[in-house]
Amino acid sequence: MAAGGYASSRPRYGGAVRVLLHDRVMSIDPIGDEDHPVTRDRLAELAFETLTEIDTQGRLRPKLAVTWHADQAKRVWQFRLRLANFHDGTVLTAADAVASLAKSNPAWKYSAPDRQTIVIETPSPVQHMAEMLAMPRYAIVKRQMENNAAVLIGTGSYKLTQWQAGERAQFTANEDYWGGRPFADTIEFQMGASLRDQLMDRQLGPYAATELSVDQIRAVEQNNQTVYVSRPADLMAIVFPQRDCTGRPSKKAVDTRVREALGLAINRAAISNVLLQRKGTPAAGLLPQWLTGYEVILGGATNLDRARELRSDAAAFVVITPIALAYDFSDPLAKQVAERIAVDAREAGIVVQPYGEAHINSKTARASINADALLLRVPLESVDPQTALAARFDDLGLLQANPSAILAATRPEDILESEQTTLGNHCVLPVAHVPEALWLNSTAHNWQQRVNGEWDLDQLWVEGAR
Amino acid sequence: MLKTAFKRRFCALLCFCLAAPSAVPQDTPSLPAAASEFARLILSREGSLSTLSVTFQNLSSIPPETQEAMQNAIFNVFRGANVKLVKPEQSPVNVQITFSEDWQGYVLIANIQQGAVSHAVIKKLPRQQRAQSQNNPTLTIRKIPVWQQESPILDFYQDNQNLLVLEPGQLSLYASDSGQWRPRQTLGIPHQAPWPRDARGRLEVHGGEINAFLPGTRCSGKISPPSLECRASDDPWPVDQGLVAFFSPRRNFFSGLLAGQSAGASVAPFFSGATWQAGDQRLWLFTGTDGRARLFQNDLATPVTTFSGWGSTLAAVHTTCGSGWQLLASAPVDTSRADSVQAIEISAHEALPVSAPVDLSGAVEALWTAGNYNQVVNGVLYSQTSGRYEAFTLTVVCNQ
Repeated sequence: MAAGGYASSRPRYGGAVRVLLHDRVMSIDPIGDEDHPVTRDRLAELAFETLTEIDTQGRLRPKLAVTWHADQAKRVWQFRLRLANFHDGTVLTAADAVASLAKSNPAWKYSAPDRQTIVIETPSPVQHMAEMLAMPRYAIVKRQMENNAAVLIGTGSYKLTQWQAGERAQFTANEDYWGGRPFADTIEFQMGASLRDQLMDRQLGPYAATELSVDQIRAVEQNNQTVYVSRPADLMAIVFPQRDCTGRPSKKAVDTRVREALGLAINRAAISNVLLQRKGTPAAGLLPQWLTGYEVILGGATNLDRARELRSDAAAFVVITPIALAYDFSDPLAKQVAERIAVDAREAGIVVQPYGEAHINSKTARASINADALLLRVPLESVDPQTALAARFDDLGLLQANPSAILAATRPEDILESEQTTLGNHCVLPVAHVPEALWLNSTAHNWQQRVNGEWDLDQLWVEGAR
Repeated sequence: MLKTAFKRRFCALLCFCLAAPSAVPQDTPSLPAAASEFARLILSREGSLSTLSVTFQNLSSIPPETQEAMQNAIFNVFRGANVKLVKPEQSPVNVQITFSEDWQGYVLIANIQQGAVSHAVIKKLPRQQRAQSQNNPTLTIRKIPVWQQESPILDFYQDNQNLLVLEPGQLSLYASDSGQWRPRQTLGIPHQAPWPRDARGRLEVHGGEINAFLPGTRCSGKISPPSLECRASDDPWPVDQGLVAFFSPRRNFFSGLLAGQSAGASVAPFFSGATWQAGDQRLWLFTGTDGRARLFQNDLATPVTTFSGWGSTLAAVHTTCGSGWQLLASAPVDTSRADSVQAIEISAHEALPVSAPVDLSGAVEALWTAGNYNQVVNGVLYSQTSGRYEAFTLTVVCNQ
């Protein structure tokens, strides 16, 4: 039997959990346009719940909905709600859920035939509606105005009790939660932490957990600390924000041959092995191999000869100007990857000029960025491939990608073909799949990181409390 | 901490034997069959194919011998459909078959190239469990699965005719029918407030009388005809033979206040407790909510020793091995990980492991002493892998 000073398999109640976050979140609204949606979702999931959830094993589970079914065409879906209360004490009704979902996706039609039943009608079939509704953006939120300020009310196991945008958030156990009061009394997040300093000073003692970037993993592991690394789930990719790709006007369009040439010039293996320290994987597709099993057949190998050939072909018809590549100013890893891409591109005779931009992850702010290409890092929003691909198309803002076709697909090869078609126009160049990493204090238990890097803090408890 | 140094000597004395494996090793016999099905799927999608070439690549963890069997199965289906298999340069249709895998299973991909046009056929297969390694023998803890379900199991009772499964919202009765448990009746357990996290419960059946204890709720009834009446109650729960204790109604532990024969005594709050007789000594052991297990001897005023490094769930079992009593204790692992159970003897205030840990497929949720002679431990585990709760019994067998 293993020995340990303070070990137990049974969770303990009480205690405060303190977590350090690198990013600054300005709002926890699950449908808000946020610079750091992954971090936002980590906070929001404590207070807001979805109708369904996908567990750590990838199984679909009931959450606020207890049952659901669809018509044969998968166009009309009916969900039956459980009995649950909002944090303000009011009972969750189908009308509340309908109002919330209508904000999340206005393209669908909703109705509430009774207090516990929601009906969703979609213009085209949605095979995996229940999986889709497990995404944080479909969380049920009651939005109301108080003192001229928008207040968001959820049903989750924790209530948001203190909020300083971009600085600090405190969540307190919901004593009346339908699934039973959570174990910890409070979870407090401190944002904008300079983790590098704290790691150097070994000042992490009071904290239960903190986010790590890929380049910090090795140093922490070498100190025999507990590090959770998700599967490489986030996608780092170049997107060309031009009319034929995203539908938005741009100062100039990068020729399709040049885009293809750039894709062939990128040394993805070097980026994964060196910059991502073998924690990431080269990306040939939009979804990672571990999720689909088919990424291996999409190619993605460097081919400088072909890249030069394509560049020459293009030069015969158009003037090839330098490509301004914007990356996330606050992400040192993105800067390194962008610079490496510029070096690779030069080998094919293409000039890429990387520069840092703030707010690159916000869709609204992105629209005003004056770059020829964007290096984006987008999260894997679902472990259901169909749902994940549709969400990825949306996150990347790709015009020619057709989420409806993906959602209607009934076979895995339909998803592959949809991805191939999208990649074929070279509006998006996958670069790498990157994991999410976390340092965990040995006093924190049952902290679960899902395979896509999402946190599941439902069963979290900490030592030193009862 | 457990004195593992004593293990060998103690095992030699008692001649204990091996820990029973709890998982059934599986090979992958169905993969060639799945490959045949995949080949038929390719043919059905492609319509009439008279000639094609097939090449393979294995990017999965499928072993070479299984891969070969799968390839042969695919060839056989094609030949059986009168498809002529030729070299790639001689064929208008080339099929590149990739054995791949995702995080949940194997993925078979056929990339079918016909001139400039290509398309794919994909089949996903669940990955089968690999054989688990077995530990070296010391003492046999025999685990017998009783029942599995997706909804939580708090406790259960079984005899030759009946299986009663206590769940947070109901008591399910099953009747034995040709060796199978058939649903007989479900009796609801109404309750006002939500159950606490890590909800626990206790089920006792004596002479057909049912007593069920849940946080803040007590139910009484009969097996035949099935009946159950529940009420809000803080009545103490039976923990072990002669050990009764109050349970915190909104938490997952006993408050430490004892009742019954030990009425008036109190110990530190605990998750589970056991009591047994060793010669003329009465012993109690409680796994505290502070992570320490406390041993009491003859009285409950002050523990004679404390142990750390234990799991929080244990139960005593009466056997013909060793001193006649062992404790079966869970391991100190988080509930998100697979647990194990190990037999321990208390001797001279020391805890001696007397069996190898029996690996379980999930986290131990409950262990309660059962049987007319306390010779059985009823257990419940939750497997994150399968998403199911499993009721099982544990017995200790000595190798005499």
